This record gives sequence, C-alpha cells and structure tokens, in this order.
Amino acid sequence: MKPDLTPSICLLIAVVLSGPARAAQDPPRHLQTYRQQGVDQVDIQNGRQLWYSTVNQRSCTSCHGDNPAKAGKHVKTGKAIQPMALSANAERFQDAKKIEKWFLRNCKWTLGRECSTQEKADILTWLSSQ
Amino acid sequence: MKHKTMMIMGYALLASVLTFSFYGMGQSLASSNDKYGEHDTGEMEYEDSKQHAATKQYPLYVDECGSCHMAYPAQLLPPASWQKIMRGLDDHFGENAELDTTTRQALEKYLSKASSSRSYQKLFRNLGNQAPLRITELPYFVHEHDEIPSRFIQANDKVSSLSQCNACHQNAERGQFDEDDVTIPGVGRWDD
Ligand code: HEC
Ligand code: HEC
Ligand code: HEC
Repeated sequence: MKPDLTPSICLLIAVVLSGPARAAQDPPRHLQTYRQQGVDQVDIQNGRQLWYSTVNQRSCTSCHGDNPAKAGKHVKTGKAIQPMALSANAERFQDAKKIEKWFLRNCKWTLGRECSTQEKADILTWLSSQ
Repeated sequence: MKHKTMMIMGYALLASVLTFSFYGMGQSLASSNDKYGEHDTGEMEYEDSKQHAATKQYPLYVDECGSCHMAYPAQLLPPASWQKIMRGLDDHFGENAELDTTTRQALEKYLSKASSSRSYQKLFRNLGNQAPLRITELPYFVHEHDEIPSRFIQANDKVSSLSQCNACHQNAERGQFDEDDVTIPGVGRWDD
C-alpha cells in the first residue's frame, strides 16, 4: 500500500504560495529570533530615539538620512543607500546574517558600542512601522 | 494591456543590458589571457554568473565589498595590499567593515588569486615592493590624476573624492579606465 502524499503536497504548495507574499507585509521574521532570545516587549519609542540620537556627531541618520522612507547617502563615500523603512523597501530585513552584520558594525561605529538584543528589536520594530 | 507592454519592454531592456555587459566584459581587463579571464577563482565563483554578469566579479565580493563604495576590481592593487586590507577590516579607513571568518577567508582567497594576474601592469609602475592600502596612492594613479583641479573633485558634490572611480569612469566596475571614456559630473568629458 502506498502512503497518501496528498496532504503533504497540499501543505507544501500552501507554504510555497504564502511565503513571499507574507514577507513583504508582516514585521520581519527576525523579530521572532529576538523574542526567542528573551525579548518579551518591544519599545517602539526607544527604537525611534536610538535611531535619531547623536554620539560624537554620528547618528544612524548620517548615512541613512532623516527620513527612513527615503534613500540615504553614505556619509563618506556618497554611495546611495536604499530606504530602510519596510514600507518603502520590501527587501529590507530579510536575511538574519545581513541584519546582524550591519547592527554590529553600525552600532559600534555610530554609538561607540554594540546594541543589545532589546535595542535591536526596538529599532527593527520602529523601522518596520515606518 | 499597458502592463503587458511595460513588462515586455522591461525584459527586452534586461536582455540588452546583459548582452551588453557580456560584450563589454570581453573588451575589458578580463580579456587578457590570465586565470581571471577563465573564471578560475575559487569554488563558490560565478555560480549565478548570469545574474552578476554586469560586473563579472565574484558575487560574494560585490555583496560584501560593494555596499559602502563600488566593488573595486581586484586587479587594481597587488596581492600584498589586499592581504593588508583584509586583515584590518575592523578599522577600515575609519570605518567598521568586519566580517565573519568564513566570509573573510573566501574573499581573501579570491582577491589573492584575482589580483595576482596583474593584468593592469601599468598601474603598478614605480611601485617596487610597496603595498599601499589605497589605489589612489599608487604612483601611477597619482601621476594620472594630478592635473585634475580639486574643484572638480573635493568641491564637487557628485564626486567628493578620487576614491569614487565610478563617478568619472563610467565603466570602472568592469575594470575599464580608458582616458577617452572619462566624464566628470557637472564638468563634462575630459580631453587633454
Ligand atoms: C557610516 C554609514 C552608516 C551609518 C552611520 C549607519 N549605517 Fe546602517 N547601513 C549602512 C550601509 C552601507 C548598509 C548596507 C547597505 C544596504 O543594505 O543597502 C547598512 C545597513 C543597515 C542594516 C541592514 C538592513 C537590512 O536590510 O538587513 C541595518 C539593520 C542598519 N544598517 C542599521 C543601522 C543603525 C541602527 C544605525 C545607527 C546605530 C546605522 N545603521 C548607521 C551604513 C550606515
Ligand atoms: C562599512 C563600509 C565599508 C565596507 C563594508 C567596505 N569598505 Fe572599503 N572603504 C570604506 C571607506 C569609508 C573608504 C574610504 C573612502 C574614501 O576615502 O573616500 C574605503 C576605502 C577602500 C579602499 C581604498 C580606495 C582608495 O582610496 O583607493 C579599498 C581598496 C577598499 N575600501 C576595499 C574594500 C574591500 C576589499 C571591502 C570588502 C572586504 C570593503 N572595502 C568594504 C568603507 C567600506
Ligand atoms: C574626478 C574624476 C575621476 C575620478 C574620481 C577617478 N578618475 Fe581616473 N582619470 C580621470 C581623468 C580625467 C583621467 C585622464 C587623465 C589624463 O588624461 O591625463 C583619468 C585617468 C585614469 C587612468 C589612466 C587611464 C589609462 O589609459 O592609462 C586610470 C588607470 C584611472 N584613471 C583609474 C582610476 C581609478 C582606479 C579610480 C578610483 C580609485 C579613478 N581613476 C578615479 C578622472 C577620474
């Protein structure tokens, strides 16, 4: 007797179909990872505040610009940086490795220290709401 | 109806861009009969070469080293320079460009191979055994650019520094730097 594969095939199709469509609208999947790492509440205002805070004349906006829904410009090289707001750029925050790489570099460079998991979750939530 | 036409036009445009890139590539540095031209630069190389034909560089390199500035073609510096650059990414010209070990090693391997072809020999004139961190410090580079007034560079919002090769050399990312293919933004074609 052959096992009935129909249900699993249906499930597979459903997953394939829903995958990309979902990614563009919902908050980034990566927030789930932060939740698993112990973040149980996000503070969207804190995210906003970190984004606009200035340390030694450096700020996230130095490169990403004042409006996250608009393209930014690298402060030193002038190279264009696509918008950070999820509403303006659906390709944002899709790759865990990429997100963590830039949080590490940019928090160190801008704020002079690494960002905590809580802070990263706050910033990501704020940017996704823009 | 309108949508369909747009889509067809889009595909046609994409196809012509790809074709053009392949053509351009044949004319550029890669045409010298070296290892680089044979795509022999590591096992992760050119897996999706169609998608990245526009630059004809290692996709991982373009991704990792092309986000803050253009991805400088490997032939523009000697291997020893790349090695120094790759060992100091956490303080990279005042910026943090650090990478995980696996990625860094893959890029190091690529750069060391792709740059040892030295297909742009004249760039290394009078260099001796020096290994500068910048292309813009190579004696030949300095010599070629010292007549450009600073109002065209530092005081020019669209250029800002000589490190932005692609601001003036339209085909810089493909490794082409012909003297008669230079347009300085806001100034125009360069003849001398
Ligand atoms: C010196 C310039 C610079 C500054 C300052 C800067 N960034 Fe960035 N950031 C970049 C560049 C370049 C990228 C990668 C380009 C891209 O993804 O389009 C990037 C990417 C990111 C990403 C990854 C986005 C994704 O799609 O995965 C995050 C997250 C990020 N930055 C957060 C921050 C935060 C938070 C700050 C302030 C603490 C900040 N950045 C400050 C240049 C900068
Ligand atoms: C976080 C941003 C960032 C990343 C990522 C980055 N760079 Fe840079 N790079 C810079 C800045 C800023 C400069 C200095 C530009 C200037 O002086 O105008 C620079 C300059 C350079 C130069 C010298 C250009 C000249 O003046 O001749 C080289 C070569 C270079 N980078 C190679 C690399 C390589 C290889 C990688 C990938 C491993 C890389 N860069 C990734 C920011 C970055
Ligand atoms: C401000 C515009 C500008 C920028 C930026 C610039 N160049 Fe040039 N480059 C020129 C001009 C103009 C010439 C021609 C000089 C002449 O005719 O004497 C030239 C000449 C050259 C040549 C000599 C061409 C030949 O046929 O030998 C090379 C090689 C070159 N540039 C490489 C580079 C590289 C690599 C960069 C980035 C690191 C760069 N340039 C950035 C304007 C620029």
